[in-house]
Amino acid sequence: MSASSTTYSLESLIHSIVPQSRSDHVLFNDLLAHSNEVLSSHIGQSRERDIGHLADLVKRRLSQNRPDGVSSVQFTNLLSRLLEQPVLSRKYDSVLFLHTLASSTRTPLLVPPFLPSLAPSPPITSKHTPAVSPIDAIPPPRSKTGRSRAELLREIRARSGCPHIAEIALLRDALYLLQGISGKHVRFATGRDRGSETSLLFSEDHGYISTPTKQLIHKLSEVGHLYIRVDRFIREREARSGIGMIEQSLCHHLQSQLTEYYRLIAVLESQLNIASNSQDQDTQSSTGGIPPEPDIRAEESGLTLRRLDVWVNEWKLRMRMMSVCVEAAKDTHGGALVNIIHSYTENGDPFVRNFTDQLLEEVSKPFFETLQKWLFSGELYDPYLEFFVTVDPELAHLQYVYPTTLAAGAGIMTGDGFGGFHVDQDDLTSERESGLRLWQGKYKFRQEMLPAFVGEGFGSKIFSTGKSLNFIRYSCHDTDWIATREKMSNTHGTLQYSDIFGLERSIDAAYRIASQRLFDIFFDKFRLLDHLRALKNYLLLGHGDFADQLMETIGPSLSKPANSLYRHNLTATLETAIRSSNAQRDPPDVLRRLDARMLEYSQGEIGWDVFTLEYKVDAPLDTVLDPDSMVKYLKLFNHLWKMKRIESTMTKGWARTAGSTKAFVRIPELEPEWHKIRLITAEMIHFIRQMAAFCQLEVIECSWKALVDFISKKEGDLDALIGAHRAYLDRMVKKILLIGPKVGKEESLLNQVREAFSLILGFNDATEHFYNLCMSESSRRDSELDQERGIYTATTKHPSLQRSDALLNGLRQCKEYGTSFSEKVQVILHALQAHVDLDCRFLGIRISFSDFYRAKKDSQVPSKP
Amino acid sequence: MTMAPREADRIPSAQQTLDILYDISQLLGTQLDKETLATCIGMIESGVNPEALAAVIQELRREGAAIAAAKTNAVEGSRLGRAA
Repeated sequence: MSASSTTYSLESLIHSIVPQSRSDHVLFNDLLAHSNEVLSSHIGQSRERDIGHLADLVKRRLSQNRPDGVSSVQFTNLLSRLLEQPVLSRKYDSVLFLHTLASSTRTPLLVPPFLPSLAPSPPITSKHTPAVSPIDAIPPPRSKTGRSRAELLREIRARSGCPHIAEIALLRDALYLLQGISGKHVRFATGRDRGSETSLLFSEDHGYISTPTKQLIHKLSEVGHLYIRVDRFIREREARSGIGMIEQSLCHHLQSQLTEYYRLIAVLESQLNIASNSQDQDTQSSTGGIPPEPDIRAEESGLTLRRLDVWVNEWKLRMRMMSVCVEAAKDTHGGALVNIIHSYTENGDPFVRNFTDQLLEEVSKPFFETLQKWLFSGELYDPYLEFFVTVDPELAHLQYVYPTTLAAGAGIMTGDGFGGFHVDQDDLTSERESGLRLWQGKYKFRQEMLPAFVGEGFGSKIFSTGKSLNFIRYSCHDTDWIATREKMSNTHGTLQYSDIFGLERSIDAAYRIASQRLFDIFFDKFRLLDHLRALKNYLLLGHGDFADQLMETIGPSLSKPANSLYRHNLTATLETAIRSSNAQRDPPDVLRRLDARMLEYSQGEIGWDVFTLEYKVDAPLDTVLDPDSMVKYLKLFNHLWKMKRIESTMTKGWARTAGSTKAFVRIPELEPEWHKIRLITAEMIHFIRQMAAFCQLEVIECSWKALVDFISKKEGDLDALIGAHRAYLDRMVKKILLIGPKVGKEESLLNQVREAFSLILGFNDATEHFYNLCMSESSRRDSELDQERGIYTATTKHPSLQRSDALLNGLRQCKEYGTSFSEKVQVILHALQAHVDLDCRFLGIRISFSDFYRAKKDSQVPSKP
Repeated sequence: MTMAPREADRIPSAQQTLDILYDISQLLGTQLDKETLATCIGMIESGVNPEALAAVIQELRREGAAIAAAKTNAVEGSRLGRAA
């Protein structure tokens, strides 16, 4: 430190750089004086003494010169080696010297120093900063003459016994505050209840704290406050049981973040220790009344309140994010929590975005595990109800089994034969009902739990895929296939948040495969199409020969009262009808399900009212052919069967009126009347034929085609299939039964049609009666003629007045039926013309094809004044 | 001085330190030779303001260059004068 050695060094420096000065003494003296002048100036004294910052500057310079980055790596190596060397005490200064020299082609950088970087890199600073030993630091020359007012004020304060509290003490407090602990001078004000440390208390017993410092500490303490909240949340969650997995992983992530935070605090504290050491030495050395100047010391050690603020600045942001998550986690859980976190990813601030992305990656892991299980094996493993699919607890235990095995199982379970029987019955019926219910109700989709990054479309696909797999496994007993699939899918790797595209691809693939498989199972294994076709052929009378056969064999017995019918007779008749028609070639599995039975009947009903065919479906077919659908099929059958009955009755009636009357009845004066009856009969036949053709061709076949088209596409899942079948059925019900749009009057038109049907039947009976009367009249006349010719045949002795009365009565009845039928048809037509359904309107046009009824109506109007 | 209790350790380690500093110097292109560097480091160690020192060296270099230029100029000027 001696001035002489410095001077000597300077001289040798001058000699070596300006060799001319060796000879030229004037020049030498000039240079020496100039150099001394420069040296005693204070160039760059205000500079931040931070080696990290300096290293950054150097690296920036190096990478400007040579942008390959090799040299800056080299420099880093050299610097770290230099810092390990024990010899030099002013490494910072040496490097600064080299840097300044190297960059002195430009003006020396006198920009206000900014901190190395906002991201604290603890290992480097902890190693570097202590290297600057504060003991040898030169106290920078200060102007002793003009003291600032602040200094004067400080002195006055010190003298009055109320000095500034040293920043070092406040720093220590601030570090405590950062950990959520109250310090000596600054404390958290504890509110009435825990968790409301919202304000700070400054205790100024020992000294004075200036307002700016207070504000600075306020800023710092925000981090501490947030830390308390996050930390408390984690503690609470750790202590409690039954926390969802997503929350657990959130806690884990927060905990690891806090560990990082602790590390930062540890580094800061080590720096603080250095500062306080120097402080101690400083106070020891300064014996005078001049208060220590901690800011210079602290500046060297790299820690002041202001610097602390910058160090923790990033953590302030992070803590804020964490505390937001914590707040969110208080009242939501599972997928909704993920959703809330995800809502922060769409943020313009890259810091917030990155933080939430990272967090989401961690937090969504359990979600993706559940998703994977659900998507690839159809198992819902969600012990804490966090997934967006939930199982209905009532249906959860119901694994669909074939009724036979179930019955056996239940019988064994109860052990009691008699009781067992009852249980069987109950279980069977409940099982029957739950086929569709199981599919639709076992798993529920919870919109609010669906993470937003999955998207609603994919959410429903996931839901459907898992449901299908579950259904295949438990209701269709195809576990092997699932197992193979699961193995295959596992090779694709795990799903995760960062790979949304991969996720979407997997979802699509899984959805396609599962739906495809479910279709295949339904159509190949359970032959759904066969059953649908059988329903169409038998219940909707698609097999004409079978229907005719059945009508022929069963018709006579159906005219009897309902209570005289027996089921075994019906089934036997059904059997006959099947055997004598093409139906016998249908698969036995289909025929086995076909059954004839009677509906519940009341007093006075005849067989026609209660007879019905039935098609039995069992699991898992009843998912598609659910009981409601079967009821609709029965309703359709009932109507179509009635129509069929009318049709066959009319066929016989036509044979009588058209053929037999001409052949056997010879009553010339009644010939025109018979002609009129034939006209009415033809009108009725036209009506019923049009109705039947409409039902079979326009409605059933068209709907069937739409259904078959859908099936052959094999798109969509089971829900789509159920939907398609339902649409098919609903369309038929609506059109065949001519359901109107008016609420409460949907079936008014149907009732009209039914009345028309009964009018036809009544007319038929009346014509039969009239025919019989005509026949007896005809035979009477024959025998009269025979008597005239002298041949005696048996004669019925009826008074001729009575005979003609009976004939006229019969004729009147026929005509009455005919006119009321015609009026009924006009009413029906009127309703059909205004029908909302286009097909039904066309039916009206068909029935009145050549404007027959309009002409009739027109002719009626003037006739009835 | 608080450090380096044994003088024997210091010599090789001082040499090593100097080598490292020299490497850095080369990397930064300061154009200092080893000897001058050693002198400068010595001065800094004894408390000289490093930035001021850098300014001094820069100044001296400029001065030296100016003198050298003046000389060659003079030589060339005399040559020119002779030629004229």
